Amino acid sequence: MDRLRLPQTERSPLVDFDFDRQRLRLEGESYPEDAAAFFGPLIAALDRYLERLRAEPPAAPLVVDLRLAYFNSSSAKAFMNIFQRLEAAARDGVKVQVNWHYQTDDETMMEFGEDFREDFQAARFELCVFD
Amino acid sequence: MSIATQYFDVHRRMRDQGVIFSFVGYVSEGILFSLGEALKQKMRLEETDANVTKRVFSIFVEQVQNIIRYSAERLQAESGTPTEMSSGLITVGHDATHFFVVCGNIVGRAEGEDLRGRLDELARMDPDTIKSYYREKLREPPEEGSRGASIGLIEIARRSTRPIEFGLTEIDADRAFFCLKAYI
Repeated sequence: MDRLRLPQTERSPLVDFDFDRQRLRLEGESYPEDAAAFFGPLIAALDRYLERLRAEPPAAPLVVDLRLAYFNSSSAKAFMNIFQRLEAAARDGVKVQVNWHYQTDDETMMEFGEDFREDFQAARFELCVFD
Repeated sequence: MSIATQYFDVHRRMRDQGVIFSFVGYVSEGILFSLGEALKQKMRLEETDANVTKRVFSIFVEQVQNIIRYSAERLQAESGTPTEMSSGLITVGHDATHFFVVCGNIVGRAEGEDLRGRLDELARMDPDTIKSYYREKLREPPEEGSRGASIGLIEIARRSTRPIEFGLTEIDADRAFFCLKAYI
């Protein structure tokens, strides 16, 4: 599948879905004018991709890196959608590793990471703190 | 009274209440962004704690997006492009102890009662209950008529350091003015 890349803007995160290398990245701030319009295509592409991985689960895990500084509640809803899909794929035998990066002292992002972690059983979810 | 006297009076009264900025009129996503930038800059200049800044900003965004999405006084382009503008009021400030964010807009009577119900429910919750309620709502598919963010109010309650103050005042048989004040 073609790599899906969107540059970071003042209100939306950098997106880099490198499907062939099994690495997906989201980075920055997320409070788009229309969260459904922004995340809809990303979720649709992810669905197609996970379908492919389910058909032939690769030996190496799919690695998802999130490094967010701020997001609004509509974006949180979209992330939850993404996480539910990743967890479902992991339950079907696809190896998934999610890394939640947050800056030391960022209480909000740490708390969100701890919250989201509880939604994963089959997929591995790791909190990664950086300075 | 000269216009200078008149407006200086408005200016002084706002300043005395600790208002950082106040906006009355039609709000758009562009205005949200600009005011949000100004707010972050102001807090940076005053060396506000980064976590406090984030909480204030988060509450500000949720409240303004609620005006944009739910104000009963909305102008929308015929084409359905996201160029909506909604009439409302936004005031951000700092009193002796807390930052505060006040937002107000006109709502239909039914929406007003719905908001009152939701906020009464949130007011009865302690922080841990709010947190698990947020998680529960995040997992649910969006409600009918909600534009994907029924959790906005929960986010505001979660980031607030004091109970949310809110009220409704009747305008006529169909409409009311809704107002919400959150403290950080």
